[in-house]
Amino acid sequence: MIEIKELHKSYKMGSNSLHVLKGINISIAEGELVAIMGSSGSGKSTLLNILGMLDVADTGDYTLDNVPIKDLNETKAAKYRNKFLGFVFQSFNLINYKSAMENVALPLYYQKVNRKERQKKALKYLEQVGLKEWASHLPSELSGGQKQRVAIARAMAAEPKVLLADEPTGALDSTTSYEVMDLIQKINDDGNTILIVTHEPDIADMCKRIVHLKDGVIVEDKKIEQVRASAYV
Amino acid sequence: MFDRDVWQEIFFTLKSNKLRTFLTGFSVGWAIFILVMLLASVNGMQNGFTGQFNDDATNSIFVRPGTTTKAYAGFEEGRRIQLKNDDVAYIRESFPNDIEYISGRYFTNTSARYKSETGSYPVQAVDPEFQIIEKTIITKGRYFNDADVANAAKVAVIGRKVREDLFKKEDPIGKFVELNGLSFKIIGIFTDDGDDNAERRLYAPLSTYQRIYGNTDNINQVALTYNPRYDLAKALEFSDRLEILMKRRHKVSPEDQSGINIWNYAEAFDNISSFSAVLSTVSIAVAFLILIAGIVGIGNIMIFTIKERTKEIGVRKALGAKPSQIINLVLLEATFITTISGFVGLIFAWIILSLIGPAIKTPAFSNPSVSLSTVITATIILIIAGVLAGLLPAIKAANVKPIVALNDK
Repeated sequence: MIEIKELHKSYKMGSNSLHVLKGINISIAEGELVAIMGSSGSGKSTLLNILGMLDVADTGDYTLDNVPIKDLNETKAAKYRNKFLGFVFQSFNLINYKSAMENVALPLYYQKVNRKERQKKALKYLEQVGLKEWASHLPSELSGGQKQRVAIARAMAAEPKVLLADEPTGALDSTTSYEVMDLIQKINDDGNTILIVTHEPDIADMCKRIVHLKDGVIVEDKKIEQVRASAYV
Repeated sequence: MFDRDVWQEIFFTLKSNKLRTFLTGFSVGWAIFILVMLLASVNGMQNGFTGQFNDDATNSIFVRPGTTTKAYAGFEEGRRIQLKNDDVAYIRESFPNDIEYISGRYFTNTSARYKSETGSYPVQAVDPEFQIIEKTIITKGRYFNDADVANAAKVAVIGRKVREDLFKKEDPIGKFVELNGLSFKIIGIFTDDGDDNAERRLYAPLSTYQRIYGNTDNINQVALTYNPRYDLAKALEFSDRLEILMKRRHKVSPEDQSGINIWNYAEAFDNISSFSAVLSTVSIAVAFLILIAGIVGIGNIMIFTIKERTKEIGVRKALGAKPSQIINLVLLEATFITTISGFVGLIFAWIILSLIGPAIKTPAFSNPSVSLSTVITATIILIIAGVLAGLLPAIKAANVKPIVALNDK
């Protein structure tokens, strides 16, 4: 599903440049649930941003679902993001004046799905994350865990090839974190490819594969026995 | 554009920043208000001018004698020029193709008495053709005719105000009124498009007055209308010929403007038309400058709004919003505020104009109003203004990097 070869990225910080990714090679197959771990400054967020086409690599190849991702302009990137990727953020990033359902329907709006269809689909995904009754509520009326579940429903609504989650449990307490992870595992069980950036080992243990980044290189890449979050819920 | 989600977003932003929206809109509304009021004022002045002109036929020329200021042809300066009946005949014969109507004009004042009511009024002794030159409208009875002139009949046509003064509710037609002690028969009542003073006046046949008050053939003025098919250039050319002829006849220096003065409505009208054209141009320019200030204000606020919404725009882009969709949203919002507030300004101006407009009635200013074309122009300007105001902020928004916007750690 994802093929990364010799990916380099550096940032200009005034006169000196900071080499953040120093040749990343990784291949992720369909249906994997991968945790990208590393301390802050290891380049894990940069890697996720490049995977999410929010940022562009300096050199290296990136292939997503057999589509080479290169020469991106804004419009093309927008199209690919909409078609291939679903994002889940640490701070949820729901639009605060839109109801839960409207938030979930937003990516479908950008896919030019008509209004009725959007609402139907949005409700379906809200039901999947167990928030159908909350469809008409604004984000401010939801708890942190509920917000993240809405965000996950939103990420899934566009039926992306890959779900990218940047510290999805970073702003949640441990019980709520496990609920969210339970949901992510279930989505993964359905065959969806998911990448999670995290620095919490217990969250990483709930994935099927852990990639360790340190100073811009992969220092460890191992498949693990998944811990089911449902055991803690 | 007619997308419910887009409008929902626009209304939300406007609603959540009511004061800001109001202040922003105010600048544009104010600009349009000023634009419309200025245009309406210019329009009012134009109406005032043309109203005064419509009092008389717009193709009229007046030949007015005066006192010479230059020695010429053996005469010293300071000579009074006196027009006589034969000047009228001479002009008529000299320009048979140029002249439509012509009349001598003799001005005097009279005291008038009917029963116990008295008053003092100006009298214009003229020929029947003067009715057309002055555009006198007879509301009752008739104007005097050639037979009255031939007989030097003691008949008079009185203005509406004179009739009110002297006759109250009585019907004056056929009644006799004493003018300076002589009995005149009232044969008609007139109104005039000019002001009240134009209706507080009497007309009588020129021949009558010349005979009974002085037995002269002097006249004060020659009034004429030229061929109505003449355009401005031809009218000016004709009045030049007329001037040369009259100055030669009365031995007035061609450079002497006060010996004989030819007053041409077309010329004056042309001067005033170009004057009001300049005036409208200036007011449009001023209003535009104010409008620009309003546009800058809206642009400024939009940039601020976008800065505030950077994160939201980043989220949208992460979810697949194209730059064009973001631009669309911002432009629509800017255009929406501009158009709505502009219309509010327009409506305010319109209300004020329709309230005070009819109340203002001075000779120089009447019925200030805005035409439909002004409204349409203002609307187009507003939409363009909105797009201009939103353009820069929209591009700024479209360039928001989702990675920067979402960087929340």
